[in-house]
Amino acid sequence: MLEIHGLRKSFDGNEILKGVDLAVDKGDVLAVLGPSGGGKTTLLRCMNYLERPDAGQMTFLGKTVDMATMSRRDIAAYRRHTGFVFQSYNLFSNKTALQNVTEGLIVARKMPKHEAEERAMAALERVGLADKRDAYPAHLSGGQQQRVAIARAVAGQPDIIYFDEPTSALDPELIGGVLDAIQQLAEDGMTMIVVTHEIHFARHVSTKVLFMEEGKALVTAPTAAFFEEQKLERVQTFLRSLDRKDE
Amino acid sequence: MSERVINILVSSFPRILGQGLLVTIPLTVISFSLALIIAVACAMVQIANVRGLRQVVRFYIWVVRGTPLLVQLYLVYFGLPDLGLVLPAFPCAVAVFALNEGAYCAETVRAAIEAVPKGQMEAGYCVGMSYGQIMRRIVLPQAFRTAFPPLSNSLISMVKDTSLAANITVTEMFMATQRAAGRTYEHMALYIEVALIYLLFCTVITWLQRWGEKRLNAMNGGDVIRA
Repeated sequence: MLEIHGLRKSFDGNEILKGVDLAVDKGDVLAVLGPSGGGKTTLLRCMNYLERPDAGQMTFLGKTVDMATMSRRDIAAYRRHTGFVFQSYNLFSNKTALQNVTEGLIVARKMPKHEAEERAMAALERVGLADKRDAYPAHLSGGQQQRVAIARAVAGQPDIIYFDEPTSALDPELIGGVLDAIQQLAEDGMTMIVVTHEIHFARHVSTKVLFMEEGKALVTAPTAAFFEEQKLERVQTFLRSLDRKDE
Repeated sequence: MSERVINILVSSFPRILGQGLLVTIPLTVISFSLALIIAVACAMVQIANVRGLRQVVRFYIWVVRGTPLLVQLYLVYFGLPDLGLVLPAFPCAVAVFALNEGAYCAETVRAAIEAVPKGQMEAGYCVGMSYGQIMRRIVLPQAFRTAFPPLSNSLISMVKDTSLAANITVTEMFMATQRAAGRTYEHMALYIEVALIYLLFCTVITWLQRWGEKRLNAMNGGDVIRA
């Protein structure tokens, strides 16, 4: 459903992505793992054009485009097929939880208000926050904000949702609720790419793993194979270091 | 206080306050409204980095902030006629106050827009909104909350600065007082009287500011800065 070839991105001559390839099929949950500074977040941001790639080809729903020269109109159209969940939630702080979800539907997609609200309420219910519909972000916990952000991404009925370290900014006791919401989406068959440090989540929810280091996709493998059969020394040491942190 | 002074104060009060209500306040309200439009436009040009226009805006702000308001008033009212452009005093004052305050407020508005976290813009893009939609519906409302107190400051300054318009023959509150003082020689009493009226006007604005901040807080979910 989505394929990327030769994705490159530099900042001030510093090459962060050195030609990354990846592919996801419908229903895949791709976990992007790897050490900090490896380019995981930049990869995700390039995939939604929050950063403009220097080079690369994207094939999405059968259409191939050059990522470096894709027009703004095409980018806007593509984004209506995607959802994005940020590490720092980025809820609109002047809008209530419900308005955060309906805003894109009403303003960008020109959906009638009552229809947008119906859909938004369904999405909020899904993440267990229907009762917080009129709360402003400032009055929600980090975990609740992130679940509203997930509802916002889901409400657009995207073909794929990108998650950029969705639990990294959360207190430990709030992480579970957010991961549960993402797992629920996975069970419903949502296609997702999740940049994460939650190794248990990657092991149990993802269908594929992409291991990134120094701007390259070092390994791409089905999840079971990645965790059970992966012999690459670099991956082994990375997994061991995470295990130590967990225990 | 002698009976004479009291009589002068009482008889001049309606005339001074009248000029305040008929001239000072309209002059302030019209000029400040225009200044806000100029400010938002200039701030947007700088934020969106519109080439060419951005240099024009920087130049305008540089010149206006670097020269005295009184000199600007004289230039427009007494200077422009030399070039064949004669304007009545009131429109002259409006133009100068609007352009002057606009330059200061442009910086206030720009800073307030820049204080809105970049993630708000990105989140807007990710739900499919356009730059203009995000600016209008997400960024500017948040920036306005931040800019509101310093803009109230500017408004209070402007109420008092309109007294400079007396220099270019606008018969606002201060000129009405000057005339009364010239006739009666009761300078101390009359200037205290007009000072108190300015103080009254500014007090009302301060109340409005407090009320406005409360409303804006409610519309922005309580806090300006999110956790």
